[in-house]
Amino acid sequence: MSAKMNSKRRSAVQSVLLPVAFGGVLITAWQTGLLHKLLNTDEYVLPYPTRILTIISENTDKIMENVWASLEVALLGLLFGSVIGYLIAVFAASFRKLGSGGLTIVSSFNAIPIVALAPVIINWTKDVSPQADVRSMVAKIVIVTIVCMASMSVNAYRGLTELPAFSQDLMKTYGAGKLTEFRKLRLPNSIPYIFTALRVSVPVSIISALVSEYFAEYVIGVGRQIRENILIAQYSTAWAYILVACVIGIAMYAILIAAEAIVLKKRR
Amino acid sequence: MKLVRKITNSKLFFTFIWIAALIIVWEIFAYQVEQTKRTPENVLPHLSGVVDSITSDKKINGSQTAFQMVMENAGATLSRAAIGYVIGIALGFILALIMSLSGIVEKVVFPYLMLIQIIPILGMAPIINAITKDIAVSRIVIAAILTFYPVAANTLAGFKAVRRESHELMYSYSASKFQLYTKMMIPSCIPYFFTGLKISAPMAITASILVDTLQGGLGLGCLLSQSLKGAMTRYVFWDIVFFSAIIGILSFYFIGIIEKLLCPYKKLEQKGR
Amino acid sequence: MLETTENRNVEIMLDNVGMTYDAADGKKVQALTSVTMDIHKGEFISLLGPSGCGKTTLLRIIADLLQPTSGKVLIGGETPREARLKRRYGMVFQSATLYDWRTVIKNIELPLEITHESKSERRERAIKMLDLVGLSEFANHYPRQLSGGMQQRVGIARALVLQPEILLMDEPFSALDEFTREKLHIDLLKIWRKTNKTIIFVTHNISESVFLSDKVCVLSPHPGRLSAVIDIDLPRPRSMEIRDTPEFTALVSKVRNSFEGV
Repeated sequence: MSAKMNSKRRSAVQSVLLPVAFGGVLITAWQTGLLHKLLNTDEYVLPYPTRILTIISENTDKIMENVWASLEVALLGLLFGSVIGYLIAVFAASFRKLGSGGLTIVSSFNAIPIVALAPVIINWTKDVSPQADVRSMVAKIVIVTIVCMASMSVNAYRGLTELPAFSQDLMKTYGAGKLTEFRKLRLPNSIPYIFTALRVSVPVSIISALVSEYFAEYVIGVGRQIRENILIAQYSTAWAYILVACVIGIAMYAILIAAEAIVLKKRR
Repeated sequence: MKLVRKITNSKLFFTFIWIAALIIVWEIFAYQVEQTKRTPENVLPHLSGVVDSITSDKKINGSQTAFQMVMENAGATLSRAAIGYVIGIALGFILALIMSLSGIVEKVVFPYLMLIQIIPILGMAPIINAITKDIAVSRIVIAAILTFYPVAANTLAGFKAVRRESHELMYSYSASKFQLYTKMMIPSCIPYFFTGLKISAPMAITASILVDTLQGGLGLGCLLSQSLKGAMTRYVFWDIVFFSAIIGILSFYFIGIIEKLLCPYKKLEQKGR
Repeated sequence: MLETTENRNVEIMLDNVGMTYDAADGKKVQALTSVTMDIHKGEFISLLGPSGCGKTTLLRIIADLLQPTSGKVLIGGETPREARLKRRYGMVFQSATLYDWRTVIKNIELPLEITHESKSERRERAIKMLDLVGLSEFANHYPRQLSGGMQQRVGIARALVLQPEILLMDEPFSALDEFTREKLHIDLLKIWRKTNKTIIFVTHNISESVFLSDKVCVLSPHPGRLSAVIDIDLPRPRSMEIRDTPEFTALVSKVRNSFEGV
């Protein structure tokens, strides 16, 4: 075994061990109260990790109910937003002049604070259903849909239009029509861009699901529970939900990365 | 004739067409709502109504017009957002710099930098408010956190994107580390740095408004909640919605303009390649 | 002519220089095996070969960008590291590697900023170099406004501004079109004549190496080695027309036939 191989291996081991060690130090500081001194807070507002884990294990059913509520919103919003976003991109790619102007508008939706968007959408969906839980759900899904739309439409548009050099000419030499060109060239070309969009919109879908819950009529969801529990000074429970929210975020991103690795495997 | 064609060919022209279309759709629905609802402004007011509420000099809380009220609260929120934004930029840039200088620090911090991007920080806003015990401070802290990681991640990507030949050039001059960074690394990562700034500007504003809604006091989010609860005319709510949407969008473009001023070479066309 | 060549001072001495890499699968790859060669002051040398022959590796060893695993390199009696610290060579890369955020003249001033020259001195020397490469009227343009050929001329001016004795060029014209390249050949030879530098020019283009050089060092791959050194005794100054002469054609075939195992 050569020295260079050794150093490469050592470097790989380091990039796993060092962050893990850092995390260990952080959790130890938290558990031993050092972190509290640093942040100038007490174990009431910032409970020990063991306490948070106890809360989670004691309230699994209630927490899972809220997790599913948030996940449903995030995933459905992500799905609808991505599909609509992609269709907008297809439209924009088919009518370039008109479309790119529309795309500017859609992408500027991204800059609208969700805090302003959420109450408006909740207002508009008041008549959807007489049941508060249903109409709240619809409102939240619509909010997530709008937020996720922008990144998909912008990225998919790039994927549909930034084609390899001469590939369009090649299609023309085969006498391919617009539809064939789309199926054989534009669609496959846009797939890596879809994943680029999802890398942005997966975390965004969770955030906007949690924040939309703040404004919703019906009290459910991980985000809303964080807030409600803080209002009644149940900080340990709030932290339990924060931890769960982080796990959701990490899990969904991990799934996305795995899916991307499988789908794009042959391209690399 | 030429001018007409030039206008109709420009992207801006089609953007305006879309804006016009949106306004028309809005007004059609507003008209519908007006026919069917008792308090149409709660659901969808006419845009003229919103504009009226901004320009009217009627005092809505005894001392202030709606516009003055929104502006005063916006000042409280946005100034905190701006402070947090600047702190976040500074921290993000410094962290990226340290990570670029030290492989060990990069290895330790990089996974956490990725992690912080995928966990819902904004969901932690209430707890940060509880820890800092001061709404003004928590606005700054959350805006800073939300700014810090896109700036750090993008700036680091900028440092990494520097081509090997650029490094070798500096090496062949036996440039010092300080020269390497001031003459080459930092200037070349500026476009990436600005990408981070553009992403985080609307986020910092959103975060500040969100923190407002958690607690009473002066602030756009707080005013928004009050208006929603019916404490004052609903038009204040709409004013804030439009104001924050416009500010969010403008913040993005504003950073773009600063970038163009700082990097005049960026807009130049690539030639002969 | 030949006698005086022998008497000229040796600028760069390569003694049994070898380079072995560790491949990913743990095997050893010989990028370069025992190259021994003297390069004289003011000579124009080409390192010619297909990809994988080690020509760029050799240049990078001379530039102190790589450390050889065996053998010795001396530049004016010093190690490559000492030579680099004294800025005894200037480097021109395949891409011009200009900094987008600096104007042409500021790009040329860059090395002088690193050596802490005064502002007026920097400007004066940069203007001189711009003049040398014939780009005076583009001083305040940004690199993106220039064509590829012009960018590469700025790269040459920047390499020369520290007044090094040696110019190391790594396939500097390979990304340019044929017309631009031929023009730059003439320009480079003019600059060389005016400045009297020692030039080591890496290329995979046979006719380019013959046209420019005093000596073509032919490197062959698997393992990378120096397989021939061919003297190019075409008269100087050389013009475009020399490419049409039978002597030129004969030298090109001679070089081509000296490759081994390609």
